[in-house]
Formats: sequence, C-alpha cells, structure tokens
Amino acid sequence: MNETARATPDDATLVRIRGLTTVLNGKTIFDALDLDIPRGKVTAIMGPSGTGKTTLLKHITGQMRADAGSVHVDGHNVAELSREELYKLREGVGYLFQNSALLTDFDVFENVAFPLRQHTKLPEVLIRNLVLMKLQAVGLRGAARLMPNELSGGMARRVALARAIVFDPQLILYDEPFVGLDPVALNQVLKLIQTLNQTLGITSVLVSHELPAVQRIAHHVALLSNGKVVAQGDPATIADDGSPWTRQFFGGEADGPIPFRYPAGDYAAELGFAGAAK
Amino acid sequence: MNARAPQSRNVVTQSLAQIGACGLFLLTLLGAIPRSFRYLRETTRQLWFVGAMSLTIIMVCGLFVGMVLMLQLYHVLSIFGGTSASGMVVALSVYRELGPVVTALLFAGRAGTAVTAEIGLMRATDQISAMEMMAVDPVAYVATPRFLAGLIAMPLLCCVFCAMAIFGGHLVGVTWLGIDNGTFWSNMTAQVDVHTDIVNGVLLKSLAFGAVVSLIAVFQGFTTPPTSEGVAYATTRTVVASSIAILALDFVLTAFLM
Amino acid sequence: MSQPRSSYAVGTGLFIVLGFAALAYLATQTSSVANNVRQGDSYDVSAQFTNIGQLKERAPVKIAGVRVGQVQSITLAPGRDAAEVKLSIDKRYDHIPQDSVATIFTSGLLGDQYVGIDYGSAKQMVAAGGTLARTKSSQPLEEMLGKFFGAGGVVDNIGGSYLVKADFTNVGTLSAGAPVKMAGVVIGSVQSVRADPTKLNAEVILAIDKRYDQIPDDSAAAVFTSGLIGSQYVAIQPGGSPDVLKNGDEMILTQSAMQLEDLIGKFLVNGSPGDKKDAGSGKQ
Repeated sequence: MNETARATPDDATLVRIRGLTTVLNGKTIFDALDLDIPRGKVTAIMGPSGTGKTTLLKHITGQMRADAGSVHVDGHNVAELSREELYKLREGVGYLFQNSALLTDFDVFENVAFPLRQHTKLPEVLIRNLVLMKLQAVGLRGAARLMPNELSGGMARRVALARAIVFDPQLILYDEPFVGLDPVALNQVLKLIQTLNQTLGITSVLVSHELPAVQRIAHHVALLSNGKVVAQGDPATIADDGSPWTRQFFGGEADGPIPFRYPAGDYAAELGFAGAAK
Repeated sequence: MNARAPQSRNVVTQSLAQIGACGLFLLTLLGAIPRSFRYLRETTRQLWFVGAMSLTIIMVCGLFVGMVLMLQLYHVLSIFGGTSASGMVVALSVYRELGPVVTALLFAGRAGTAVTAEIGLMRATDQISAMEMMAVDPVAYVATPRFLAGLIAMPLLCCVFCAMAIFGGHLVGVTWLGIDNGTFWSNMTAQVDVHTDIVNGVLLKSLAFGAVVSLIAVFQGFTTPPTSEGVAYATTRTVVASSIAILALDFVLTAFLM
Repeated sequence: MSQPRSSYAVGTGLFIVLGFAALAYLATQTSSVANNVRQGDSYDVSAQFTNIGQLKERAPVKIAGVRVGQVQSITLAPGRDAAEVKLSIDKRYDHIPQDSVATIFTSGLLGDQYVGIDYGSAKQMVAAGGTLARTKSSQPLEEMLGKFFGAGGVVDNIGGSYLVKADFTNVGTLSAGAPVKMAGVVIGSVQSVRADPTKLNAEVILAIDKRYDQIPDDSAAAVFTSGLIGSQYVAIQPGGSPDVLKNGDEMILTQSAMQLEDLIGKFLVNGSPGDKKDAGSGKQ
C-alpha cells in the first residue's frame, strides 16, 4: 500500500469508489462509477433490478475485483490487499445476504456464534452471553436451538442480521434486508438498523427497492442505473429532483431512461410478420 | 452462463480442461491444509459423516462380497480338488483388488455424492460467500476438511471391508461348505504377505482412491453452477468421474506395485 | 452445543478405533506377519545350492514344518556355479547341528518354495555367520512327478505275449488295453478287468510281451496313474525270486489303485498333516 492510497481517506468518507468499471461476460455492469459512502451514516443504494447493486457490495468486500478503478474501504484499496489483510478487513464488516445464507449444519445459536468461534478464543460463557444478547436484539433468543430449516424467511433474515452484528463491525452491508418481512418484523429490523447506526455509529449500506422504508432511516440515497450513479442526495427530496431517472424509478413508469425491456430485435420481425420487417 | 462457453468444444478438450482445473484445485486444497488445522473439529465432524456414516453399507457389502466370492471359488476349485485354497484366494483377491476398489466405488456413491451435493447447495444458498464475508476461508473450512476426512476414512473403511469379507468367506466356506477351519486359516496366513497385500494392496490403494474420490467430490461441489440443476449434474459427474478414476488408477497402481 | 459435537467426536473415535482394529486383524490374523522373524532377533547362516528353483527372498525357513526364519538374500556364489542363500534364523532356534541338511521344498503342488532344515546328529552347532555344508537343491516338478509316478513310455508293438493274473482290491479306473510297465517301459497291456464273484475283488489279466520272460514270480503289480490326471496303468516291480513268471501264473503281491484325492492329499500336506492342523487350530 503506497502513501497516496493512505492519504485518500478522510474522516467523513468510509468507502470511496472511483472510476469503478466492471465487465461481466461482455456486459458492462459498472461504467466509471464514483460513489462516496459517508462514515457513520445510513446510505441506501437504490436502482432497478440487474443494475449490479449486489455486485457493488461484493466489490466493497473484495469478493469481486474490478476491471478498472478502485475501491477504498477505510483507506485500504481492497483490490491490493493480500488474503490475510482482506480477511482482517472483513472481520470489521458485517454482511447481510439476500437469502440469509445461514450455515445449514448448525442451529441458530451456533450460526450466530460462528464468527466469534472462528476469530476469537473467548470463553464459552462469554460467547454464550454475546450470542444471546444479539439474538435478543432481533427477538429470537427463544429460537436459539432451532435449525435453519425450521425458520421462516423473515426469522432467518433476523438470525443472519444477528450474525452480521455479532462482532460489532464498523460497516454493515445489507443486501435487500426488507424483502419478505411482515410489517412487524420489518419495523423491528428498521429500528435495529437505526439503533445500530445511532448508538454505535455503525456505517450502514442498504440495498433496497422500498422507498418508504429507506426514507425512514437513510441519511443518503444513491440511485444506480446503467452502471452509473444517476442521482444521489437526501431521501426526502431525491424523488422530487426532477430528473427523468428518479421520476421513472420512483414513479414506476415503464418508459424512460431505465430500460424495462431486455434489448431485443424488432418485435414484429421476430413474430414473423414479413410486411412489418421491411 | 456465458463464461462456460468453452464447454461447447468437444469432449476431449472439455475433459482435459476439467482435469486441469481439478489439478489446480488440488494445489489450492493442499495449500489450505496449514490454515485448516484450525478447523480440526470440522475435520472430525466430516470424518463422522463420510467415514462413520458409511460403515453400515461398507460392512454389509464387505460381508456379501466375501460370501459370494467364497461360494464361487468353492465351486470352481472343487473341480481341481483345491477347495482348501479358497480361503487364501478370497483373502488375496479381496486385499489386492476387490477391497480397495469396491470400497472406493461405494464410498464415491455414499459419501462423494453427499459431499458434492452439500457443497453445491452451500454455494447455491450463499453459505460459501457468507463464510468469505465472515473472514473464514471456505477452502480451508469446507473443502480441505472434507478432503482430509475422505483421505483418512477410506483406508479405515477398506480395512473394515476386508475384515468383513474374510468373515463372510469364513462363514460360507467353513461354516456352510465345510472347509476345514485350520486349513482355511493356515493357507491364508501362508500366502498373505503384509507388505505386498496389506500395505500395498489395502492401505496404499485405498489411500490413493480416497484422495481421488474426495478431490473429485469437493471439486465438483465447488465448481458446479449454483443452481439445483447444476448440483444434480455435479453429483452425477462425481460418481461417473470417480468410478472411471478409481478403475484407471487401480490399473496404474497395480502395474506399479506388483 | 457441546452435546452434538461430543457425540460426533465419540462416534468418529469409535470409527477410527474400529478401522485400526480391522487393520490389526488383517495384518496379524490373516497374514504371515505373526510368524515373521524380526531382524534384530535373528542370526544369519548361509547355504549353497546348485539350483534354487523358484526360491525367493523372504521365503520361509522351516524346521520340521515350523517356520524358524526367512531367506535373507540370494546371490550367486563368487566364482562358483552355485547360489549362495543367506538364511536369517530366529535366535531362539540356535541349536541347529552343523551337519544339518538344508533342502529346498515346494509347499504343495504349485505353492511357493521354502528352505527346510533336517537336523543332523553332530554335537557342534552351527554358529552365526556359519555355513550349512549339506544341501539338497530344488527339484523340478517334472522330475519329482516322474519319480513319483514312473516315466511314461511309448507302447511297444506287442508280438507274442503270455498271460498273468493279478488280483487287486481296487483298480480305480483301470480298463482293458491299459499299458503294463516295468521300470517305466511298456512291456504289455491289460487283457481284461473283471470282478471276481467269489473273492469280491478285481481280477486283472495282464498280457506281457514274450521278450520279457525273466520276470521273477514274486514281483509286485501296482495300479498307478500316469501324471496327475492321466490314465491308469499297471506297474510291475521285480522281486528277487529265482523262478520266473509263466503263462497262467498269478501275481501274489499287488498294490491297488490310490484314489487321486488321497494322492493329492498326501502330496499337498507334504507328509506333515499334523503340523498344519496345529497351526490352523491355533488361529481360532
């Protein structure tokens, strides 16, 4: 790591993405994308399906490497880290997967305890207490002995959340945390994210489609489309900034700069109407 | 997936690419061994799944292989009046060939497929990514323990198989067909050599087969497309590839060890 | 959480113990390791053979059928047309007389070869590094079988012959036309085989070539088998009487056919069936 890389971070920005370009299977996912994620804030990344929101999170955690550009997390260029350094960095990052990704071999308790057991040599009593505290926070202390296949989707999400925060990370990435939650659980998760952010100052990055939920907790919203950040700003006002992107996305219109249809040839020609093909 | 476009090439190139990828994966696996020492408990757990849980099928099959072998040999050898040698022939054929090969084939069907399916599903449900995110190396935590467990379990299973086959042969030969008990054992002990038959035959072969089957199972699990269809194909490929590899390797090993 | 983990551990431990127990069983109960002589506890004796046949290194060395050691090395004796065989013998058996005979035997018909030592009567014992001067080399199977059964010969064209009667208690599969041999050479053929209704045995009429008219009348007739599974024939072993067999005489001394099973049985167990039995029952 050179000096310039060290020099780039400032106190306000935890994740700094510059000129990120990724081509996957011939399809450009990111096209010179720039994004700053402020430290200690809740940032929501929104955008239509398939714009690479999850892929962006994977770049932040170093699971994927960019073709060009850089991702700096807390001053470290993720792409330049060795395996050990990357793992060290990841210990301070929580990640909530879209489909929970609980380890099916272990019960709920062991799932939450897993990161602690792997990275610490804490006494059993301490692990037990820590895990029960996190499970209590997501309201599932009573489910500690259930196996993942006995949980509903929402419960599994909350267990995964408990696991993501068991290390009290400085950054938590939430990949679609609100999908499939009933209103009560949704509220609970929202509150939890908010509490974690406010009391512990944990930087949160949300990937979500749900504007009302995002508006309640996010400090900053970035709208992704066509591999670029097309709009960003305050969640209360971003829907009204008047750009065609935000108008289409938040208004739910089919026609606009965000393509609803996958690129295809001429419709009439494909259906075989010879006359239309001319 | 477009990235798999090379698959559309012919079977030979495809197989070569698979073998090459498998070899590279073996290097990754071996490289992860020092890191997986931290997960000794996981290795033990996998040893339970691939080893101890395969015991029943191995024992039952070993018993029947010994029994049927003795029955066949008895009828053939009785033509030449050599039935007293049948115990020895059962022992030699089981130690040198049938024990390691049949155990490995059963092991591929019982434990190999389970490992492939498990890892494939772990990938499909993001468990592998989750481990990476929790700063746990999935190769060291998932792949290497399963590989090592297979490596340790196979020779032990093979020993159990052989012992059961001898028992089955004794059951049929001595108890049922009336070969003299003393002749049965003395002919066997006179001809079975510890070095060529038990060390080279049972242990070395089964160790090699264990390594190959475990490697193929883990490799298929790790490289399959993370979909239900991909997992289904990967399990099939594990059995097919393992069976071919076992029999081919058996020939090579026999040629070298004999 | 420790409950399922410890049950895995116990189960896995049991599995490993079972596996090693099976290995120990295979190695000690079903193989020759139990009798294997360890290097440290043995002493070397050398012996020279003119022909070692199929003898291999690590082949057993036996005394009275009991394994006492193994063949350490086989080399060509320097400057001589003989094989030098080093025998590694267990220290416990250090009272082998110097004039003992080392012989290369074959276990069974097709079995491996081993070195058997027959005790001599000398007071002096052979010392470590010493030599067993008296040896008997490996005998090719053909030679052995030849001695055992008598060599086969070509049937002579029989001109005139005289008839001799012989009674056997069992002729096996002997049939009319079978050769009659003396010293392995065909001298005649079997004229007829029939059961005697009063003596309840087989009456065989032998037609012997007139040229062989000097056969003592106390010669013995025996029914033999040529080769292992060949046809049977009558062999005549000359006696010492001054009188000779004449047409119509009866041979008193006869030896009936041996059943092949008996034969192979005797052959396979090498004349020491008791040893095998003991070794076998010790295994149980």
